[in-house]
Amino acid sequence: MRIPNTLNWKVGGPAGEGIMTTGLIFSKALSRSGLKVFDYTEYPSLITGGHNTYQVYASEHFATSQYQELDVLIALDKATLDLHLDEITENTLVIFDKEDDKINIEEHGLNARTFNLPMVKLAQESGGSKLMANNVALGATMFVFGLDLQILFGVIESVFGRKGAEVVTKNQNAAQFGYNFMQEHLGQSLMTFVKVEGKNYLTMTGNEAISLGAIAGGLQLYTAYPMTPSSSILHVLAEKAKQADIVVKHAEDEIGVINMALGASFAGVRSMVGSSGGGFCYMSEALGLSGIAEIPLVVIESMRPGPALGMPTWTAQGDLQFIITASQDEFPRFVLSPSDSQEAFELTRLAMDLSEKYQTLVIVVSDKLLSESRFTMELDNTQFNNERHGIDKDPQLAEVGFYPRYQDTDNGISQRTIPGQPNGYYMSNSYTHDDYGFATEDGEIRVEQVDKRAKKFELMKSEILPQYFENNNGEMTLISFGSTKGAVVAARELLENNHNIKVNVLNLSWIWPFPEKQVMEVLDMNVPFAVIEGNSTGQLAKIIRMETGVKVENQLLKYDGRPFYPHEIVKFVRNTLKK
Amino acid sequence: MTKTLPQKYPFLPTWCPGCGNFGIMNAIKMAIAKSGHPKEKFVIVYDIGCSGNMSDFLDLYGFHGLHGRALPPAAGIKLANHDLKVIVVIGDGGCYGEGATHFINLMRGNHDITVLVHDNHRYSLTTGQMSPTTDQGTATKSTPEGSIEVPMKPLALAVSNHATFIAREFSGAIPQLSARIGEAINHEGFALIDILQICSVYNPTQDLRWYREHTIGLDENHNPSDKAAAWTQAMREDKLPVGLFYKEERPAYHSLVSELKDSTLVNHNKNVVEISGLLEEYR
Repeated sequence: MRIPNTLNWKVGGPAGEGIMTTGLIFSKALSRSGLKVFDYTEYPSLITGGHNTYQVYASEHFATSQYQELDVLIALDKATLDLHLDEITENTLVIFDKEDDKINIEEHGLNARTFNLPMVKLAQESGGSKLMANNVALGATMFVFGLDLQILFGVIESVFGRKGAEVVTKNQNAAQFGYNFMQEHLGQSLMTFVKVEGKNYLTMTGNEAISLGAIAGGLQLYTAYPMTPSSSILHVLAEKAKQADIVVKHAEDEIGVINMALGASFAGVRSMVGSSGGGFCYMSEALGLSGIAEIPLVVIESMRPGPALGMPTWTAQGDLQFIITASQDEFPRFVLSPSDSQEAFELTRLAMDLSEKYQTLVIVVSDKLLSESRFTMELDNTQFNNERHGIDKDPQLAEVGFYPRYQDTDNGISQRTIPGQPNGYYMSNSYTHDDYGFATEDGEIRVEQVDKRAKKFELMKSEILPQYFENNNGEMTLISFGSTKGAVVAARELLENNHNIKVNVLNLSWIWPFPEKQVMEVLDMNVPFAVIEGNSTGQLAKIIRMETGVKVENQLLKYDGRPFYPHEIVKFVRNTLKK
Repeated sequence: MTKTLPQKYPFLPTWCPGCGNFGIMNAIKMAIAKSGHPKEKFVIVYDIGCSGNMSDFLDLYGFHGLHGRALPPAAGIKLANHDLKVIVVIGDGGCYGEGATHFINLMRGNHDITVLVHDNHRYSLTTGQMSPTTDQGTATKSTPEGSIEVPMKPLALAVSNHATFIAREFSGAIPQLSARIGEAINHEGFALIDILQICSVYNPTQDLRWYREHTIGLDENHNPSDKAAAWTQAMREDKLPVGLFYKEERPAYHSLVSELKDSTLVNHNKNVVEISGLLEEYR
């Protein structure tokens, strides 16, 4: 059940054997060959030991998901041969190193083509060290897929270049030995991918895209406390801080993180914070501070299975309902849920702008699948203009001697001043306050300020972007949010190609304000629909019912920590339609 | 606004008669007036509690944060614009209890903020429960049989944990307190002043007479650059010494952030951002 002209490759082995780097190099080689890629990694929450995998799916047309059935499995240990039986078919080529890993391949009872590649021996014969065995596997892989070895050489140079020419040459030689060995013994490539000219793809993980999107959107301060799967945003931004001219602060805890960012934002700096569900819980009191004091803030929440510590390195979509309401009482917020790196870049950039424009909270929802998977993306341009919003250039004090920071306006958005400006004094207040920020318990003023903030929400609805919708005249409409889109789109293609079933696809990358109008239009199409999401109670389905009054009858829910696989969605659709 | 409260701005203090906060507020006002810095360059970050209610009584830029969380926004404001003078008004509960993580960690970083702890040994606005500095055995609303915990020694904590300006003063000695606040404002780094304060309502035992008996000025031979001496004074059980315990010149956090060498963060212009230089590694 696969699409022609695609490849699905996985390398697996013990942590600490360079699995991630090996996978990344192959992925880049494919991207530089003009193919679109989707990379998916699995690893346990351990520093050393445990089983790591890096999977790459590539296609000239689209790559949005990991697939189950592998073309090639590189097994760097025995465990890899036993842990992926459901991904191995008779068409899979399993590559292993009999001598180095002491593998007796018959014992594993694989219903697949197997190939003994003496990776360590060849690495040493090529003049390199044992550590270069993975390059032997990469060279062999390039032959298997009929790819140009020179492209791999180029990636090796980019990745190892800073270690010097000798390291580059040795790694390249090891790859050459692997390629030659495979050519000699396999004779013919299993597939042939000719370089697609004219493509200049970028590949980024969701977290890398979030980081760069924030920078493009005028980020000035990022504060965070490490928590998987959000931590790599902190790493990327800290590493790039100098070049990007931003400040990054690893603060004492998530409460310190968000309160520090709010202080900076109050002082006129575009600020962002990031965490996963647990850290986000710590932040929830201060979300309300952003709301009541009308301080712009972008929060990244990268979900993992919970509750509490849950499963740190696995994926889930179980925080959605919490995210749209987290905090005391009520205030307007945006909740965006990008589906891939392209959207992660664009929506995080937009989030920086929206938070300042509406002087409120914008939460960008990710999950392990988006945050740590690598997607192909393209940028039409690399220069971004950022407009500043709502800062009074020439503030005047009101008669009472303070600046009317929270004065009601037609749309609820007031002008603000930033400390250091003469005649801009006001109180940025976590208490219910009046126009100047002074605390009050007066009921009338309280209502006026609540209504003023609520008014912003009406205007915020005008910002809702058209959501991803494919009208294929389908027999069914599949509705999802965020990263689940990738598997749904992949399933749509499989359904059409292999089962002659057409489905429509609606994916929400904008949760709040809820895109009610577009969702209603889709629900009104008189086509059966189903919601597909990564939690156990159907949170998006509940939100849809809350916002449209429509009860969702068909649901596919997954909450084992693993992302949806396209074939699972195919099976669900066929069962539901009884086809 | 459709409605204005029938009072002048800023509001008149709502503190109880005899509250130490009056003295502290006057000392702050005097220190700011004397500092020579323009008024708009000051930001006061208020914690909650009786001390934090000062937010309604001053005519400056202010940030009234969450309970125990006044220090992080103060550090954030300073990172955003290190030309500002940032003062924190906080109580013993907020600084040493609820927000102790921030206290401990921001002092290590030597963030250039002035932290004024209104230390009345009680949670007063919440009507008189035990605080981190309440003496052991004290009966309060939350500890009717007497508190079990041994009180914190905040100045010793600050000495051992690398704060660079550490003092204790008494709220009633306004000129001395004001002068000390002035020094703290001018100190480039984390400045802590633990301000002993009367709460006549919820801590009537520790009244003016009690403070007269229990406080003592630091000896004029005390050398504020001698860390060991500061430690000894901070650990004293017999008396509560007042004065400058310790002072050290060490670069403030923002001065060591390389991106802030040339200008304040708020002045880093992001109107046009070019990211092509960041993209190469993603090809």
